[in-house]
Parts: sequence; structure tokens; C-alpha cells
Amino acid sequence: MPTDTIKIKRLKAMYRLRAKVDDMYTSGLEAMKDGRPVAWSMVTWWHADPVFKAMDLEVVYPENYAAMVAASGKASRYLDLCDADGFPTHLCGYSRINLGYVSRMVNGCAGGIPPEAPMGGLPKPVMMLSHSMLCDARVKWFQSLGRYMDTPVWMMETALPGVEEWNDPDVRKWSLKLVMDEIEQFIAYLERMLGRKLNRDRYDEMLSDMITLSRLAYKTFELRKATPCPMHSRDFWSVMPPYLYMSGDLKDSIDCYQALYDEVEQRVASRIGAVEPEKYRLLFAELPPWHSLEFFDRLAERGWNFVKESWAYNPPRPLEGLEDISDPVERHARFHLHVATGYHADALADDEYMGYLGYPYVKFAKDYACDGAFFHGLMTCRSASTHHPYTRELLMRKLKIPSFQVEGDLVDLRLFNAEEALRRAEVFEESMDYYRELRQQEHFPADNMQPA
Amino acid sequence: MLDTLHGMSRVSQVLADRSARIRELKAQGKKAVGYFCSYVPVEILTAMDLVPVRILGDMDEPVTEMDTVLPTSFCPFLRNCINTVFRGRYDFLDGVVGAHSCDAQEKSIHVWKSKIKYEFYHYLDMPATLHPWGADMYRSSLEKFKSSCEAWTGKPLSGEALEASILAHNRHRSLVRELYELKRFDPPLVSGSDTLRILTAISGLPVDEGSALLEAVIQEARAGKIQADTQDKKRILVVGACLDALPLIRLIEDFDADVVMDDNCMGARTYFRDVSITKDPMQGLASRYLDLTCARTFRETVAGEFRKDHAADLETRFAHLGNYIEKWRVEGVVIQLVRFCDPFGYEVPELKDYLNSINIPNLYLETEYTTGSLAPLKTRLQTFLETLL
Repeated sequence: MPTDTIKIKRLKAMYRLRAKVDDMYTSGLEAMKDGRPVAWSMVTWWHADPVFKAMDLEVVYPENYAAMVAASGKASRYLDLCDADGFPTHLCGYSRINLGYVSRMVNGCAGGIPPEAPMGGLPKPVMMLSHSMLCDARVKWFQSLGRYMDTPVWMMETALPGVEEWNDPDVRKWSLKLVMDEIEQFIAYLERMLGRKLNRDRYDEMLSDMITLSRLAYKTFELRKATPCPMHSRDFWSVMPPYLYMSGDLKDSIDCYQALYDEVEQRVASRIGAVEPEKYRLLFAELPPWHSLEFFDRLAERGWNFVKESWAYNPPRPLEGLEDISDPVERHARFHLHVATGYHADALADDEYMGYLGYPYVKFAKDYACDGAFFHGLMTCRSASTHHPYTRELLMRKLKIPSFQVEGDLVDLRLFNAEEALRRAEVFEESMDYYRELRQQEHFPADNMQPA
Repeated sequence: MLDTLHGMSRVSQVLADRSARIRELKAQGKKAVGYFCSYVPVEILTAMDLVPVRILGDMDEPVTEMDTVLPTSFCPFLRNCINTVFRGRYDFLDGVVGAHSCDAQEKSIHVWKSKIKYEFYHYLDMPATLHPWGADMYRSSLEKFKSSCEAWTGKPLSGEALEASILAHNRHRSLVRELYELKRFDPPLVSGSDTLRILTAISGLPVDEGSALLEAVIQEARAGKIQADTQDKKRILVVGACLDALPLIRLIEDFDADVVMDDNCMGARTYFRDVSITKDPMQGLASRYLDLTCARTFRETVAGEFRKDHAADLETRFAHLGNYIEKWRVEGVVIQLVRFCDPFGYEVPELKDYLNSINIPNLYLETEYTTGSLAPLKTRLQTFLETLL
């Protein structure tokens, strides 16, 4: 039983950043009303976003929107429509919400925005951007909307070299070339479609702002290594969109992030934790149950502080020398490529070969002095679940850190049983206590593990 | 034994123990390289005097070794295949090649590499589109695969050897197509289940041995020696990712129907397109392998279009099925999806749209790659087959 009634201490600076998500949808809707074009985009891990920004094209992200729909408790209507249209039920939950949304828009609302749509809805796009990073759903989903809309899809490729392969200069060379080619071709496509040229100075400025914002976010999250951890995962997810989607004005985002940094730093100096007392420090993998975020409050009442999340949603490790690259497209491409390959060298040194998704957790668990890891197995997201068994075994083998797996889904409330998960969480605490003691007895691991 | 059995008898012998012939070859000093998917360019392995072995699953074998490897909400076919490896069924492998043909393969190959150490391991990154600049990258990736094989074996690969291998595999593919021609007869001269048995047998043999076996089987089939029966049956096309197991086909055959054509990775998808003989063999390989008819590829009718023409899009993606339906006089299509397969999963409604547009009855079935999971599908399949006129 919980000893005290504790809630997560939310960061004040978070609210301004969280509001920027709302701004993204508001701007999209305003653009639609003004007759300006709006695009839909997959998360591209900064491969396309600076180009969109520099071309002044309003962009909304259906993956993010689906999470918002789930968080607002309105997913089931769209999921049902998607199922009724014959899509298999195991497909990505985000995509199923979007497919159901578009089905409703086209078949139930004469092409208009469904009146019940959260946040005012998604405006109809003039183009959609697919992206090949991380999962097949993000390659196929927009294409499958062709039965509802005549909106064109541009598919942007990326390279995904393996851990050992990334050590090979040839592989680096052709991966970089592919990523650069894709940027240039995408620019050319947008220029043709919009009938205007990219302002290269503005593009350069967007890149600079993107790098500044990313580094500032990275630096802020590094402060979470402190004990007690000053920032909970719930705040992390709330402040993620401004840098991951580059939503809103970037200079304003940089200001907001500076305020966030200052507040987190102040908490560190004052030894204020997001959860107090902080009994357990946990990693979270991968995507949360957006429909049941209050679940984390219940865990906070037990003293569980979530101190680090997946590599996939964190800003990349800062890459030295980026500013020295004069060609903006190359600078941009190197930044993007570094996202998936930034932990490859660490993995290779440890004779492990899942350099993204899997291996970064080893580093995070050490650096953030974690007692355990929470794996949210997602029925409809292979990309965010495939590495779970391997990573759990890896954490135990390398660091003697236990993990806790809860099955659920990113959007489908019906697949998640919070009460059962809480009962199991109580039992898992015994594992965390046991292994914490074991690590201390065995001085394991040596250097940077700081038992709570 | 190799010299005494021919045709379907030899097929049965190979299937009784797919590893037997590989072990014989290994005793002679050859090395075996495992792979899963039609996107691994076996021509390069053959040219290096390596034996490519397609790793298959076993629907009747429980998955027991995957708890620390892959989750249950994952491609059950691939999970089963890797389980067979972890259970030691492929303990003769010297190396493994994985391709980024789908997300499941790309991720599982990295986990696998972390868990089992082979002498040789190669991961082949590849684009998801037919963009020319992506094709350039893929060609470079193939060059790296070649040099990786050379470094491992300590032997250089000459252009002549690669061309000879391409020709050998083209001949092999043309023999499979010849086998499929025999299925155009009514009744077909080779049943769907025998076709799969033959294809499974050759998937673990060196290319020339496989071709010799195909020739013998074709001869037997032409002589009417392997035709199961002559009664009139419904002619079915099965579409899906990978179908390497007999139970589904036998289920169809149980209801007076025959699988006369397929579009899957064990069959037509792998064998219906040759490598063009080009001055630069790598270019021919790159062109062929990027353009297989798998759902994993993002196909566009017009690259960089500003308005999508859905009918044209369906034609671009599925017209080959229309050709099969016409040529093999198909009466019904079974869309077979292995649960958790995203590339094919997203295609289902549009594939049905296409089949409906050409007035061909179709049925969508989702399986979990276990024999037990087929039982609930029986009634649906039976009803569908009975409705075919």
C-alpha cells in the first residue's frame, strides 16, 4: 500500500510548451480556412520538418493527433470505423484512428471535419509525407488512404545501417548520400507543388534553430540524472512535440525550453523531485497508454519516478562539428542520420547489435541510476515492442536491472488493464528492492550507478 | 541416395530432412548461409560457392525459445522461423544474411546477431521505394555484400562467376515458371500442395541440383505421374506474404478446390522475375531485387504526382494479379495474411477493391502461423468455396 498520497509535481514551464501542440492544430485549421495549403506528415526525425518550416507550409502530424484523440477518450469511434472498412485490427493504432477519421470525414461528413473531432480536427491536406524510419506502417498507411482521398503521397526514404555496418566508411557515405538526395528531391517536389522556391537562407536558419532547440532539450533532460529526478515522464511527453515536430515558432520554443531548463536546474539545486519521496527510479519503454495517463499518478503514489524514456522520442546526442559543415543539406542530413546511429558505437563496443531502440536503454539505465524498467508492450505497434524481450534480458544480463512488462496499446483502452498492472507493480517492487541490494553487494555496475 | 531417387521421390527425401544434403556438402568443405526472404540476392552466394539455405518455419512446432528474443505481438512466421533456428534445426549454418525488406526482419536480424554468433553475418539495408537515388544506394549495398562475402571466404568474385550464377538462377526460375505452366491445365498437372513441396525442397539445395530436380519433376508431371486426380475443382489463387506450410493449402484442397496460382514469397514472387543480363551484373541484380511484387515496396503510378488516381494506383500495385487470374483461369482469390504483418495488412482493403473491380470473388483470412489457428477458418473457407459458381 502507498505510504503517502503523492502526486507528480508538474513543471510550470511545461504548460507553455504543451500549449504549442494545440497551436499546431489551430494553425492548421486557420490555414485551411484561409485557403492556404496544409500537409500531413509522419514523424520524420527532423528529416523533413526544417524543409516544411522553411517553405512556410502548415503541417500536422496524424500520429500525434491520434495520440490526442486517444488521450481525449474518443478513439473507439474511429477504431470501429477502421475495422468496419476491412483493415486488420492488429495494424498500428495511430493509423487505425486516422483511417477511421478519414473514412468518417469522407463518408459521413461530405469531406468536412467531423464535428466531434478533438482539437477542432485535422484539416484536409494537399499532400501527405510518408517516411521509412522505424516501421512499415509509416510507409504504407498514407498510401492506404488512397481509397478515400486523392491526396498525393510523397515517400521519403532514410538509411538504417546496422551497428557494425555503421563503422564502415562506405556505408556512412552512401547512407549520407541517400539522406541528402531525399532532402533535395523533397524540396524539389514541394517547390513544384507550391509554385515557389525554397528560401535557402530561411532553410539555413531553420536548421540552426532546430539544432539549438535539440541541444537545449538534450541538456535539459540530462538534468534528470539527478537524485531525486526533477522531471517525470509525463512532463517529458508534454514537452516533446515542440522539438520532435518542430511545432510553432522555433525561436519561441527555444525561449520556452530555456525556461524549462532553468526550472529543472533550480529543482536540482534544491533537491526537489518530481515524485517525493522518490522510492524507485524507472525507465519507460516505449509509448505510454495515452488513454490512461492517470495511471502514472497511481504509480507516483507508490514512489515510482519515471526518469527516462526511449531513445526514439528524445533529442539525439549532440553531434560535434555540425556547425562547421557549410552545406546546409549535408548538415541537415548528418543531424538526421545521427538520430538512429548515435548509440551504435556504444553497442558495438559491447558486442550488441540493436544499436537503436534496444541498446540505448543500457546506457540510460546506468546514467540515470535506474532501479527498474517498465515495458509497455503494444499490441498494435511492432516498432515499439519488438525489442522488449531482448532489451529486458539485456538489462538484467548487463546491469542486473529487473523489468516489468505490461501489455496494452497506445490508443486502444480495451487492451489495457490498469488495475491488474497496479497489482503487479506492487509485486515488482520486491524485485527492484532485491536487485538494488544485489547490485550494492556486488558493487555492480562499477562506476556511475548511484543506488537510490 | 542422390543418384537413385528422382522427381517427387527425391522431393519427399529432401523434405524428410532438409539438412541432410547440406551436411553432405559441408562435409565436402562447402559453407551454408541461411536467409529468410526473397530479397536476399542468392546469386552472389552461389557465385561465391556458398550454399544458400532458405530458413523456414514449422507450423506444428511450438515456439518455445523466443521469450528473450521476440515478443508475441510480432510476425508469427518470422518468430517461428527464428525459433527453429534457436532450437538447433539449422545448426549447420556458417552464416546468415538479413535484408531490410520489412521492419520485422530488420529488427529481428539485429537481435539474432546479438544472440547467436556466426562466422559470417551480413545485413543488407535497402530502400522502400523505387526512387532512382534509392536504387543507387541499394546497388552500393549489394557491392558491400559482395565484398563482405569475399572477405569472409578469402576469394575474389569475378564478373564471369557472378554472371554464370545469374544465368544459373535465371534457368532455375524459368523451370519453376515451367512448372507453374502445368498448373494452367484443367485439371492442373501439379496440385497446389505438391507445388509447395517441390518449392520447399529446392529452397535448400544448390541451384543446379534444384534445377535438375525441377526438370525431373516437370517430366513426371507432363507424363501425368504426379497429378492427384482428374476431377473438376475450383481454381484458387492464394495471395500473401510467405506461405511455406502445407496446412492452409490442404485445407483448400479438402473442399474440392486447388491452388493453381499464388503470389507469395515461396512461389511466384520469388521466381517470376529474372535478373536482366547487363554489362554490369550488379545493376541487373539491383533492378531485379528492388522491383519484386512485395507489399513492402512503396509503388507509385507517377512519382511526384500532385493528385492521386486511385484506380491507376490499384492497377500499378495489383495488375500482376489480374494477369495471373486471367492466365490461370482463377475462380476465387484467398487473401492470406499472417497476423501482425503490416506491409500486407495495409493492402487488404485496397486489394479487395481491386479484386472486386475485376469481379473476382475473394476471401480474406488471417492466420497465426499455427495449424491450430486454421481450424476456425474452415467454415469460412468452405462457405466461400461453395459460393464460387
